[in-house]
Amino acid sequence: MKITKVLKDTLIIAWIKSYPDFRRNPLMLLVIAMISAIPLFFFTMSGGGMIVHGLIGAMVSSVAFIGVMAGIQDISWDRYVKIREMIVAMPVHPASYALGIALAPLLLSVPSLILFGALAASWGVLTLASIVWTVLALLVAWAAMSAIGFMISTYLFKASMMVLNNLSNLLGIGLIFIPPVYYPETMLDSLSWISVLIPTSNVAGLIRAYMGLLPLSAETIIIRWLILMVTTVVFVVLTSMKAKWRET
Amino acid sequence: MIEAVKSLGLVKVYHSKEKVEALKGVNINVDKGELFTLLGPNGAGKTTFLRIISTQLMSTEGDAEVLGYSVVNAPEEVRKHIAVVPQDVATYNNFTPWEYAYYFARLRGMLASEAKEAAEKALKSVDLWELKNRMCQTLSGGEKRRAIIASALSSDADVLMLDEPTSGLDAVARRGVWSALRDMVKEGKTILLTTHMMEEAEMVSDRLAIIDKGNVIATGRLDQIKALTQEKYRVVVEGVFERLSDYGEVAKLGDRNIVYVKTQNEVLELLKITLKMNLRAEASPVTLEDVFVKLVGGINNHENH
Repeated sequence: MKITKVLKDTLIIAWIKSYPDFRRNPLMLLVIAMISAIPLFFFTMSGGGMIVHGLIGAMVSSVAFIGVMAGIQDISWDRYVKIREMIVAMPVHPASYALGIALAPLLLSVPSLILFGALAASWGVLTLASIVWTVLALLVAWAAMSAIGFMISTYLFKASMMVLNNLSNLLGIGLIFIPPVYYPETMLDSLSWISVLIPTSNVAGLIRAYMGLLPLSAETIIIRWLILMVTTVVFVVLTSMKAKWRET
Repeated sequence: MIEAVKSLGLVKVYHSKEKVEALKGVNINVDKGELFTLLGPNGAGKTTFLRIISTQLMSTEGDAEVLGYSVVNAPEEVRKHIAVVPQDVATYNNFTPWEYAYYFARLRGMLASEAKEAAEKALKSVDLWELKNRMCQTLSGGEKRRAIIASALSSDADVLMLDEPTSGLDAVARRGVWSALRDMVKEGKTILLTTHMMEEAEMVSDRLAIIDKGNVIATGRLDQIKALTQEKYRVVVEGVFERLSDYGEVAKLGDRNIVYVKTQNEVLELLKITLKMNLRAEASPVTLEDVFVKLVGGINNHENH
């Protein structure tokens, strides 16, 4: 199959999975932004000292929370609406489907990212120099979290939707609100190394470093990127080992 | 006649808690431009067969060809020529019929202008054009089902595979779907349909196959299938008639009995006797359901369930 067809189908599937929902329920953009922004409210109420770190957390959360949910909730497209089943029998590459499903929530989180990015820029932490690396790190966070979502839905494909929904919420909380995503990893003192192992906090740390909020050496930054890429690849490989486009 | 679908000894074994043989060497030929129905009770293997030939499921043994392409070795080629409507499919509530038809056409590789044209044609053919911009959640069951059929139709695929497309629909909605299916056949499409509803098989099929427990037990036109039993008539008798089995094979349905007889003379004889006994009786030719029940399970098998 031609790569142009694969890319075109990816965009069509992402559009199908995002635009009709957005068009009929534009408030969902606000909900996505609000969920990510909730901790900022508490930071503001407690003096505002952590607000910049919280803003970075909100940016990571915007792509990560719905990233992990997209993969898991795709099961409903398979079980009930059966759109996946219909697409399997079409001249569509499985990569187009997986990428499209993962890309859809990213499209929906773009307005939140712009909002949080604009706030960070207005406070002088998001500069022209750091914006490229920030966007790149957020893209990898999206990829890693989507891969985790797909991995769970692939390995637990017989679980009920209730279990999967609860799991996606728990994962969202466990990977976004508990590790140092909204707060700097330096607050963990000797346990700060944990943040490197979790994709969300690793990305948040990298963004803080690019914004000058976390002093990291060039070597450390490279190592953290490598760890981030490796963890993402591991999740993708684990998913592709178990996932089957055509059932056997 | 050129074959649109040809299965060659399809075997499917599921290994879950226990080994289940869903298909036991199924051979079916579907001619180009016909509506072929796979009729069978629940669990007969209809969906498994359809999922294999639509390249969604691998067979354990055997192969099938769609327009000459092997579903085992050339699934990508097969997928260019087919469109599928799965069983028990619910609509995506935030979609409109237009979005179903248009986006599925785009995924087929059509340009935006081509997809618009195909979507319009598909929606008009299933009588949904006026409702094209209504969200699916506001449509009736029949309209929802027709929206999904439109998504298959807009693909302009040569072979349409529909798994129980009218299950759960009321009589009026069902007829709407049947009408759309027959129109598609008139346009030259090949349709492979599965159903467990006799009326549906009788109304829409050009040919049909009866499948039971993974085996095809009869194939042919409706008249050929009906000719498989010696009894050509049925007489439904209400009330107590002790020696009814002297006249033919009897199926008991509570206080009613269906007697299967071979000739018109036997029908007349039985009707005369029932009139004398002051019982109510009604005669008609055997239905597909009568033949089906006899072929798949024996006339009184329901009493054992």
